Amino acid sequence: MARDSTWSRWGTGLVLPLVLLLTWEAIGAMLQSPRTPVPTKIIAAAGVLIASGDLPLAILQSLGRVFGGLMVAVAIALPLGLAMGNSRAVERNVDPVVETFRPIAAIAILPLAILWLGTGTAAAVMIVAYAAFFPLIVNTVAGAKNVHPTLLQAAATMGLSRFTIIRTVVIPAALPSIFVGLRIALAVGWTAIVAAELAVGAKAGGGGSGGIGQMMFIFYAYSIELNRIIVCMIAVGLIALVLDRGLRALMRASMPWVKS
Amino acid sequence: MTSAWLRHAGSAGVYLRTMAVFIGVWWLIALWTANPILLPTPPVVLDAAIGLARDLELFHHAGISLGRMVISITLASLLAVPLGLAMGLSPRFERIVDPTIEVLRPISGIAWIPLALFIFGIGNALPVFIMTYAAFFPIVLGTVLGVRTVDRRLIDAARTMGVPQRTIVTRVVIPAALPSLLVALRVGVALSWTAVVAAELIGAPSGLGYGVEWYRELLMTPQVMSFIAMIGVIGYICDAGVRWLNRHFTPWAAAR
Repeated sequence: MARDSTWSRWGTGLVLPLVLLLTWEAIGAMLQSPRTPVPTKIIAAAGVLIASGDLPLAILQSLGRVFGGLMVAVAIALPLGLAMGNSRAVERNVDPVVETFRPIAAIAILPLAILWLGTGTAAAVMIVAYAAFFPLIVNTVAGAKNVHPTLLQAAATMGLSRFTIIRTVVIPAALPSIFVGLRIALAVGWTAIVAAELAVGAKAGGGGSGGIGQMMFIFYAYSIELNRIIVCMIAVGLIALVLDRGLRALMRASMPWVKS
Repeated sequence: MTSAWLRHAGSAGVYLRTMAVFIGVWWLIALWTANPILLPTPPVVLDAAIGLARDLELFHHAGISLGRMVISITLASLLAVPLGLAMGLSPRFERIVDPTIEVLRPISGIAWIPLALFIFGIGNALPVFIMTYAAFFPIVLGTVLGVRTVDRRLIDAARTMGVPQRTIVTRVVIPAALPSLLVALRVGVALSWTAVVAAELIGAPSGLGYGVEWYRELLMTPQVMSFIAMIGVIGYICDAGVRWLNRHFTPWAAAR
């Protein structure tokens, strides 16, 4: 089999998307309905939304909430996970609560969050924190438990205190696993924020708390602009991709010894 | 055998003790806030759950959500498994299809809700579409991965013995890819269960997500909590079911 150059590889990959886009455009042109979204109109809509600053602002609002929620989740899950990974007693006693709530999807908590915290940023942050908590804690516990026993024994032999062992041995050894948890947490957090903002938009009658999810809902419910909805969907996908790749690059740069 | 039973009994005891502490703390906070709409006490919630269960309302909505999930997972598998097999077996086909999948994959199912609402309206089609979409990607990727990790020697051996291509696929490739496929199915089920709640919360006239939101609007918090608990219970049962499939059909790989 002849080895393909990168260019022909890209070429083959581009064929199907191009065919699909052209078919889409052609069908749209045949329908001649002004509302039918077609690729060219979507690009135009993207230009308008970016130039007006609406889309970047909404994305920043949503990202801010994701990072806020992530901070809360990290602040709770990291110490708790390390304690659970290091002490069998703590793990046995705390794990039931974690395992009981883990199957409950973050979105299901949303009505409670709205009830407790209103339809603003606080409820959205809570949803992200809840969604991000579980992958973080599961991976922190796994990482802390998988530290090579020889390392722990060596540290204990040298008379280090338990706290020092956790700080200097367990955390560095668990870091790759914690990063995996962080990556999953970021992905589910981003999905959760879109869902939360959508639902808040749908249920609070569009009471403007902003964010990309809410923006989509307004385009659906009030102005019926399908082209703009699709622009938002593409933006949601792009941000998800950028977040994931960014975190992976950060992981590779900060922990070159880990194979991803 | 007896020691295993003792261990089970012991961990059940720890579980009950921890949950008793949790419920105690919740009760104290509820008494302290003294606001039954914000945080009802545990007995009030239990009472509401029993009432909803007795009316069969809880099971009615759970059945609807579960039915939608079964349909969606079936649809997603019917689409994704053959596609994944084809992609795993033919590098050229994969090169043609993969970029399209990778472009769509980061767009979460939930982000499709507004467009899907416009296309399908409020009803059954919306949650089924969103869940099928959500479950599709992990199943495709899991199938491709499964086919990719099939031991080449097995295929070569079968080919040497003159086994036709079709039989190789059904007798060698699929069984060898099964563990990876079932792991992917587990992810797919989890993702689609999350998606159904979101989809029902926003755009369906029935189902558990709808129940949660309906009772929130009525400010009947005990009922809201009962429905949330039911979402957790069904989510847990589905996951346990897929794990059972894993153990049952691929016992050699389930040891992990």
